Amino acid sequence: MQVVKLSLNKANKIPIEADTVTPDNFAGKTKEEIEAILVWYGNGQCPLGDFFTVEVEGSDSAENTKIVFEGNVSRVKRIGQGMSAGEIEINGNVDMHCGFAMKGGKIVINGDADSWLGCEMKDGEIILNGNASYYVGSGYRGESCGMRGGKITINGNARDYLGEHMCGGEILVTGNVGLLPAISNNGGTIVIEGNATMPASEMKNGTVIIKGEISDMLPSYKEDGTEEVEGVTYRKFVGDVNAGGKGMLLIK
Amino acid sequence: MRMSEILIKNANVCDPAQGINCETMDLCIRDGKIVESVSESAEVIDAAGRLTMAGGFDGHTHSAGKINVGRFMNPNDARRTLVPGLSGPEARTEKTRAQVGYNTPNTYAIGYRYAKLGYTTICEAAIPMLAARHTHEEFKEIPILDKMGLSLFGSNWQVMEYVRDKEPEKLAAYVAWGLKASRGYGVKIVNAGGGEAWGWGKNVSGLYDPVPNFDVTPAEILMGLAEANEKLQLPHSVHVHCNNLGKPGNYETTIETMKMFEKVKPTVDRQALHVTHVQFNAYAGTSWRDFETGAPMVADYLNGANHLTFDLGQVIFGPAVTMTADGPVEYANSRMLHEKWSNQDIELEDASGVVPLSYSPKSFINAVQWAIGIELALLVEDPWKIMFTTDSPNGGSFVNYPEAFTYLMSAKKREQVISGFGKMALDRMVLPGLDRELSFYELAIMTRSMQSKMYSRPEKGNLKVGSDADVAIYDIITSDIDPSVEHEKVKQAFSGAAYTLKDGNIVVKDGKIEATPMGRTYWVNAKVPADIDSAMNKDTDIKFKKYYTVSKSNYMVEDSYLPNPVEIRTEGAF
Ligand SMILES: [Zn+2]
Repeated sequence: MQVVKLSLNKANKIPIEADTVTPDNFAGKTKEEIEAILVWYGNGQCPLGDFFTVEVEGSDSAENTKIVFEGNVSRVKRIGQGMSAGEIEINGNVDMHCGFAMKGGKIVINGDADSWLGCEMKDGEIILNGNASYYVGSGYRGESCGMRGGKITINGNARDYLGEHMCGGEILVTGNVGLLPAISNNGGTIVIEGNATMPASEMKNGTVIIKGEISDMLPSYKEDGTEEVEGVTYRKFVGDVNAGGKGMLLIK
Repeated sequence: MRMSEILIKNANVCDPAQGINCETMDLCIRDGKIVESVSESAEVIDAAGRLTMAGGFDGHTHSAGKINVGRFMNPNDARRTLVPGLSGPEARTEKTRAQVGYNTPNTYAIGYRYAKLGYTTICEAAIPMLAARHTHEEFKEIPILDKMGLSLFGSNWQVMEYVRDKEPEKLAAYVAWGLKASRGYGVKIVNAGGGEAWGWGKNVSGLYDPVPNFDVTPAEILMGLAEANEKLQLPHSVHVHCNNLGKPGNYETTIETMKMFEKVKPTVDRQALHVTHVQFNAYAGTSWRDFETGAPMVADYLNGANHLTFDLGQVIFGPAVTMTADGPVEYANSRMLHEKWSNQDIELEDASGVVPLSYSPKSFINAVQWAIGIELALLVEDPWKIMFTTDSPNGGSFVNYPEAFTYLMSAKKREQVISGFGKMALDRMVLPGLDRELSFYELAIMTRSMQSKMYSRPEKGNLKVGSDADVAIYDIITSDIDPSVEHEKVKQAFSGAAYTLKDGNIVVKDGKIEATPMGRTYWVNAKVPADIDSAMNKDTDIKFKKYYTVSKSNYMVEDSYLPNPVEIRTEGAF
């Protein structure tokens, strides 16, 4: 087991783009080697050691590497981008694009996450013990497929466009979500335990379950009997008819 | 421009304009021009026997203006890295600005990447006159390259009225005015009349289908504009995107259009007609079900005709973005492919659309489209009639040119691609039976030499004494390489020139940008007798008063938009 602790020396105003901070990239590296890893800072690149105090215990493969951020990293973006194994734990708030396109492993955030959490994720797991901002598990701007696999659990609320263009995988939100969750999605499952507004607009495929209240239910859905999921019976809607969709929207 | 001398030693020169076929010699450059000799103090570049050509000239590309709609529709294109070194995000360096994109790169990347391919001149294929300022704003930000653009006239109200009312002199005066207003170089006609019909949700179905409310046919518009083009003695012929583009069976309309121009007498020593991206207009069959290549029929006609040039519009597999003033075609594309669609109405002038798509070798239609471009290049015997293009980014991004060159130069490379096609595709093309392989000499004709005559730019596309010192040196020893077998080497060499010189400045060295001087913008100022000009202007004033959303003074592109203009004056034959 290798454990790497990173603590931010001083809160930064200009964002740090930390797409190189992954277990894959840290595995087997010494403190000095990790300090020397470059991250983008504004329009230039700087070594990680310029911003963080790095502590390393042990040396191991990516699967057995854990990165721990102590405190807020609210202006550090792209943590865990493309990671395939291992674990990242963030004990504080995190900036945008955390877990972007991750392929495996696990990210646990004990704080809030800014937009694009788990965007284009392919596999692995993200657990957010806090609130999420916009575009959780969505696609990159202009892309027709967002999250394809893996699971995102949000133990809190999420803002608008949750799971936009999602094609696979699972998102669970224990709290409420904002506008247009599951917009244009084409697969996967989204479960919202709280309330939602205008869900599943232009959905082509996939399943959306909303256990709380719905505001502004879209008229472009066809009611089609009921469906039982885990012992609970929901009203079943099929659509979005506007997009020729065959998605399933289950509501109370 | 700095006063300087350069001696390129041991250049293996391929310059078809002078009939020089891979002969090793020295090239002399002074003050940005090719000269007979230079002094002892000249800077020496040792070409070491490598292939040397004039700078490439892409005479039909969508690189400024409408491409911006493609950019904002496809922000995801910014991160595409399909062609290493020529696509995707690249941070700024001391010499270059930040770059992004593949099909719709940012303006700086367009300049750098063309230069890396050894290209030094481009022609933007479609300037909507109303939006010409935008085109020139983008030109300003495309470094290195010399630029020109073709202005759209094919669905313009005033054009159609003059054609209908049989006022050829006023029509010529309007074309001259339009070129000046948009600082354009030539006349582009896209699906003549179709843009106006599209305003009514319709299209024109062929050369003799009248345009709604104007009582003129596409054939009349084409002939009227050709006459005006020749009356004005413009350096380029009319540049035509035929009617019925992208429809099975359209090869007949294409040949009919070409035939119609046999009677046009050019007043300048060049072709009477340029037909663009013929791949999209050489389809046989009656529907997408029995769709097949029409290239043999089109090539057969072209082999017997001497009044025209054409370009390929070669397809590249992978993502592309179609962008054209052919509004109805883009609507059809987006419905058929369930793709994003953008449409623009250019008031009294045209329509346009942008739709992203992806060409797949698994689709028999796409496979046949891919084959048609190559078939045209191989079946037409005379390379001087052919300009190599992908209609970038309609058939694919220009950064794929080196890949496409290997399709033309290597039957083995073609076999490799064709081996991935299904039987249905193979039955609908003639390419597998073609074994012709183009030489470097023929490739040079299609990528730079023919453009010189086609656009009447004698100082471009050749290495004659007096020509612009735009030179590309590629890491190829022609006597040691068999492009048929070593196609990968050919592709590598064309993907990053050993040297590109622009006006005698080294802009690329070993595939890296060395300097980014600002290129020129060519535009045509055609002389029209004053009385005809003022009569035409009265009609134009009415159009602005009654219909346009802008005033005439705000419509004209001002000099300040062209930091480095080259005004080409023509005398006219009224
Ligand atoms: Zn074009």
